[in-house]
Amino acid sequence: MNKKATLIIFLLMISTGLLAQVRKITGKVIDQKTGVTLPGATVIRKSTNEIVSTDGAGKYSIDAATGDLLIYSYTGYVTVEHKVTADKNIINAYLEDSVNQLSEVMVTGALGIKRQARELGTSATLISNEVLNQGKVVNPLQGLASKVAGLRINMNDATTGKTDQLVQIRLRGSRSFNDAKNNPIYVVDGVPVPDIGRLNPNDIENITVLKGANAAALYGSEGVNGALMITTKKGTRGRGLVSFSNTTTFSDVYLLPPAQKQFGQGQNGVYSPTEYESWGPAFDGSIRDLGLKLPNGLQPTALYAAPSKDNRLDMFQTGRTLQNDLSFSGGDEKSTYYFSVQNVNIKGVIPGDKSSRTGARFNGSRTFGKLNTSYNVNYIAASRNTTPDGPWYSTYVQPANLDLNTLKNWRDPNSAANPLNYYTDATAAKNPFFLMDNNRNTSNQQTVNGKIELDYEFTPWFSAIYRIGLYSTSEESRATTNKLAAPSGNRNVNGSVNDGSNDFRRVNSDLILNFKKDFGKFTTRLLVGQNIRMDDSKMISIGSPNLLFPDLFNPGSRAGELEGAATITKYRALGTYGEFTAGYNNYLFLTLTGRNDIVSVLSKENRSYFYPGVSTSFVFTEGINALKDSKVLSFGKIFASYNRTGNVTLDPYSLNNAYSQINGFPFGGLVGFTPSLTSPNRDIKPEFVTSYEVGTQLGFFQDRLNLEAAYVYSDSDGQIFDAPISSATGYNSTIVNAGRLTNKIIELTLSGDVIRKDDFRWNIGFNFTHINNKVKTIFGGQEEFRMFRQAYAVVGQTYPLLKVSDYLRDEQGRVIVDAKGNTTTVADSAPLGTMVPPYQMGLSTMINFKGISIGAQFDARLGGWLYSEVVPRMYTAGTHPATAAYNREPFIFPNSVINTGTAAQPVYVENTSVFSKGDKAFWDGQGKVQRNTAAKSDFFKLRELNISYALPKALLAKQKVIREASFGLVGTNLFIVRHKSNTYGDPESLYNQTDGYLSFRQIPPTRMFGFNLNVTF
Amino acid sequence: MKKSIKIFVFAASLFSLTSCEKFLDVNDNPNGPTEQYLILSARLPGALISTVNQETVQINQLAAFWAGYWGTTSEATNQFYKEKTYNGVAIRGTRDGIQIWEGTFNTLLYYQLIKEQAQKESAPFYSGIAKIMQGWHFLHLVDIYNNVPFDEALNRTQYLQPKYEDGRIVYEKSVQLITEGINEIKAAGVDQNPGKADIIFGGDKQLWAKFGNTLKLRALIRQSEANNEAYIKAEINKINQEGSGFLGLGQNVATKPGYINSKGKMNPFWETNYRGVNASAINHVSLRPTEYIISTYSALKDPRLSSLYTSIGGTFKGVLFGNPVVDAQYAANKTSAFKGPNENNGKATGLFKSFDQASILMGAFESLFLQAEAANRGWISGSDQTFYEQGIAESFKYMEVDAGLFDAYNDQTTVKLSSVAGDQRLKRIIEQKWLALNSISSLEAWSDYRRLGIPNIPNSLLAPTPTARPLRLMYPESERQTNAAEAGKQGNDEVTVGKIWWNK
Repeated sequence: MNKKATLIIFLLMISTGLLAQVRKITGKVIDQKTGVTLPGATVIRKSTNEIVSTDGAGKYSIDAATGDLLIYSYTGYVTVEHKVTADKNIINAYLEDSVNQLSEVMVTGALGIKRQARELGTSATLISNEVLNQGKVVNPLQGLASKVAGLRINMNDATTGKTDQLVQIRLRGSRSFNDAKNNPIYVVDGVPVPDIGRLNPNDIENITVLKGANAAALYGSEGVNGALMITTKKGTRGRGLVSFSNTTTFSDVYLLPPAQKQFGQGQNGVYSPTEYESWGPAFDGSIRDLGLKLPNGLQPTALYAAPSKDNRLDMFQTGRTLQNDLSFSGGDEKSTYYFSVQNVNIKGVIPGDKSSRTGARFNGSRTFGKLNTSYNVNYIAASRNTTPDGPWYSTYVQPANLDLNTLKNWRDPNSAANPLNYYTDATAAKNPFFLMDNNRNTSNQQTVNGKIELDYEFTPWFSAIYRIGLYSTSEESRATTNKLAAPSGNRNVNGSVNDGSNDFRRVNSDLILNFKKDFGKFTTRLLVGQNIRMDDSKMISIGSPNLLFPDLFNPGSRAGELEGAATITKYRALGTYGEFTAGYNNYLFLTLTGRNDIVSVLSKENRSYFYPGVSTSFVFTEGINALKDSKVLSFGKIFASYNRTGNVTLDPYSLNNAYSQINGFPFGGLVGFTPSLTSPNRDIKPEFVTSYEVGTQLGFFQDRLNLEAAYVYSDSDGQIFDAPISSATGYNSTIVNAGRLTNKIIELTLSGDVIRKDDFRWNIGFNFTHINNKVKTIFGGQEEFRMFRQAYAVVGQTYPLLKVSDYLRDEQGRVIVDAKGNTTTVADSAPLGTMVPPYQMGLSTMINFKGISIGAQFDARLGGWLYSEVVPRMYTAGTHPATAAYNREPFIFPNSVINTGTAAQPVYVENTSVFSKGDKAFWDGQGKVQRNTAAKSDFFKLRELNISYALPKALLAKQKVIREASFGLVGTNLFIVRHKSNTYGDPESLYNQTDGYLSFRQIPPTRMFGFNLNVTF
Repeated sequence: MKKSIKIFVFAASLFSLTSCEKFLDVNDNPNGPTEQYLILSARLPGALISTVNQETVQINQLAAFWAGYWGTTSEATNQFYKEKTYNGVAIRGTRDGIQIWEGTFNTLLYYQLIKEQAQKESAPFYSGIAKIMQGWHFLHLVDIYNNVPFDEALNRTQYLQPKYEDGRIVYEKSVQLITEGINEIKAAGVDQNPGKADIIFGGDKQLWAKFGNTLKLRALIRQSEANNEAYIKAEINKINQEGSGFLGLGQNVATKPGYINSKGKMNPFWETNYRGVNASAINHVSLRPTEYIISTYSALKDPRLSSLYTSIGGTFKGVLFGNPVVDAQYAANKTSAFKGPNENNGKATGLFKSFDQASILMGAFESLFLQAEAANRGWISGSDQTFYEQGIAESFKYMEVDAGLFDAYNDQTTVKLSSVAGDQRLKRIIEQKWLALNSISSLEAWSDYRRLGIPNIPNSLLAPTPTARPLRLMYPESERQTNAAEAGKQGNDEVTVGKIWWNK
């Protein structure tokens, strides 16, 4: 490459120096992405301003001399220039479509079909590779956070996901009471896949976010929650490119729930060397015994003084993420290729936690006459080795003065850190470093995702696409606990192993017939298609809770019985769909859709269902003469859509109650089956979401300022969910086909170039979403349902609603204390508010100045509530600051009243005389008052900051190896402002598929900073 | 190329037409059997073990604290805190609470489904067992929660929010249910015997009838202070008319389904409170007998003492329930632990015999003490002293005390029933019953204390006030969240305030 380039330069210099002979230059102008030739494109010889156009086959011919500059342009494409060199008489120009102009934007619509944004009667947002990767995320979903109106991302800390966080994504709020069934459909290059969390974000060319059921109508049930249409990179025609990038980031925990530093271990104000709870005396700076004597006879001691720092931080380390990415791409007229390899290596914030991911992708395309073929293969090997939950929740209940750094050498039999000598034998407060080392979860997962697509153009008005995709994951997991023999049940740890194998396979096939015909100013297009879906999974686990030997993790070396289970599931669906689009003069469009699904999870009577949709759009700046060529309004479109989408969120085999053997059964030959405690329902039908959307898209001052606004109404009725019911029915929950939830959503996106000069561009973007949802009905005329823990669905209220237990209060809201100074807890108190923030805002700014670019993404979410389960535990353990607020002395409960009347006729007067005890029993009870652990979840944060510097082209021009090079600094979560009542954590870092709920298991959130390097050869 | 596509299109459309039905018929659960696969004998043991596990572990543990049997070591001062503080709100919690309500109704459902199936199949033995066991659970529910759903319970299709009924009514209906159960079992034909699937009595009709009668007697005795004489008399008459009598010597209601020494497959009381496969159970490390029960056994020179607990240098040392102070004298190694074969040269002890010991649902000794009380009250014929002595002897037998020691023990004036008169006789019966039920059927002991205040159990040192005693449990959080209106109608359900109807 290098040699060749030098030679070309050399020849070029000779030829230009010698003569400027005019000759015929010919070639084609070609669409970079599709490889289609562009008829009617303009070619200009700059020196003479001579203009020619390409013919019907995209070919041109022009007179030019060596050294001349030829300019190739075509509406909707970025203009390119080529210099005429002495060695070439044929110059092919590859043009890339420009996305700067609103009137020209192309998006990826349903079924992966490219279409003009102008004809969509629904909202769609295009996120480019650069925007997605601003924060150099590992999981592409994280890169979408706060960048799209109506899209919300939460981090989900699963118990084994500390290096590989789960991400919850919601488009336009929730439509289903079934929390896990509100995910959008992910479509990679036209093929629906269950997950894209492990996709290499650098492979993604762009993501079109189709926000609602209306946009994704052709995807039917699965599109009811919107769709993320991911387009991966294709090879670039005409030139070979090699890119390398490295990103190194470091992460640290922050926002730990605060802890008191006044009192140490003991009970009832008395020191105890073997107690872990912090109900002892105040720290006094003395040296005290810690635990019992060690095997070598020494008595461990510790300084009984308030620590100068938060000792809990010593449990964590600085995490590190390394991402190395290499890609090759290229192509010619007939074919393209893109090949990439990425390695991600993560060291977690908990010592010993690590994960890695290696992925390779090959995307190719080839044209054979009228047949276009494309094929993708993506292979990802991901491995993980983490500790389960335990270390952290063991840590925050232990005394503030405990020096965690002394606990690392637990393997030394004479160390006080050794679990056999640890100061407390309580199972709730073990040495966190021992837990980290002793309990491991490992997993190796391999994902293969590929597709083959054939697109045949039978006639200019009829083509057929057949696309088949495979998504297959195979995971081998192992959870181990190393045996630690001790005579006492509290210190003894049984060795255990659990080997799991989890296979999932999805085959998706689409056959699409595509007809189009123009009649004068009318254009029509008809799509008819059929979709076949087959999901198969198999999970196997075997293990033993009782291994015989340390460090030997095989169920064969066990005492007692082998434990194991296998679960197989199958899901089948058959969809038939059609879409008809008519356009008038390219400014007025009408689209009709219809789809029929047949799914395997419902009974035969209910499993087939049809649903229609209609949408329209009008580009009024072109349709209304008076608005044409307006200097102010350069583009204007209004759109509206209506549709009704059927959806089945039921898991396979839910129609009947399956029995199983629990409680130790079978005992040899004696079997004992008991039913599932979820009451089944054979008559479950599809639920239906009816929604309409109206909106507008406006471009001002030649699209320098863009505004998009939409109003969406959705109504989900007859919802399928597992509703908790009174256990007095015998069952704990029941699957119902009831409940109606409506959403009214306003979305607003503003984007504008404050400065737009050749080498200086400053863009500011803002998006706003307001979601107002309401529960209309629930089930059987009931007024409320508990969905999960403290999250409720209450008729007439927003969903999910946080309801917690509260103090018994008088009419003025003052807390009533009894004669002993104790408060009373009321279980069913007034609701606090929604657990999903109804207001979401994203603010982005991007400054490009010469080679420097600064991008920042701010995020605010307001109006929601959250609930923490860490706090009650800290109250009980005496580590919460509230427990030390009154120095553990009797005190008058603030703003409290006492009853001076009778029980029947109470008279409440301000309490100035009755003292509350302020001891453990009192504070433990206060921790159980859930109102004390609820907070507003409002926040404003700097989510991403990216400062990068690209080497000037002029500098790079001096050598021929590197085409582009840039260096940057990245950071995420660099600052956050939270509502003052929230001292618990990051409101967007939530527990497993919940809204506004922080589990006691969750480790604190992390902030990240680092640098990255990109080089293109 | 063109051809191949055409073939593909053709094949795809053909596929969709011909094999659509088959393609979609994949919703039969390959992972677990549904009802139609399961005969009654495959279901009854599951329900019975569910009863046994809840009774011997969950309910027994809570009640053992509140019946004065158990406390904790000083190391475990912070453990069982909600039990020690009578924190009803914490106990009713779904998250960290004690879900007796939920567990009981789930088990009631198991019996309900068996009953419905048995009625369809005309299998009266099964439906009879289901009814007696449902009676057992409903009586327990009332003893713990007072007013509970009965008529509208266990009917998910009709009543999503079942109405509560008065505890007294539920008691009457439960007794009636047991009566029906006894009659159905007795009416069962030889070919309708569940045999081995009846893991309690192996299909012995007589024993089921006796168990049913004893259960009814337990329910009647419970209302001794509730001014309900006419009803009691009528029900005693029914029992007499039925004629099978009560459980007598050696007739324990117990099961040994075939426990093996593997996690989750051994006797649950053993596994929870004594030993797992490798090491002592956490409860065995943390739990200790109270000073009060040790002093009671000691005062009577009771030979059961050394069969139940380990000694520390020859003396027995208990703990104070709810002691808020970490007091070194109550440390684990300074107090008497529960004795098991490991501390007894491999031999069975009072409570812990082996990993596969039978689970006790109701000991013969309890039946005998119930009869002693009934006789004492003149409800049934027979001598209270005879039943009393048989009860003690039966307890000795269960607690592995040499039968030869009985006479000397019984001859003590502190023990001999005939050495006291009047009220004191009943007090003594209940005291001895308390000593026999120790850690086995603790709920019965707690109920006796609530009913009669016998014996004089010291209060938890962490009780909200010195006189506040646990009288019931609060309705669970789950019920407050799913059936709030009904739960809210039942009055004050605080642990130390609300009373069970029979508790006057």
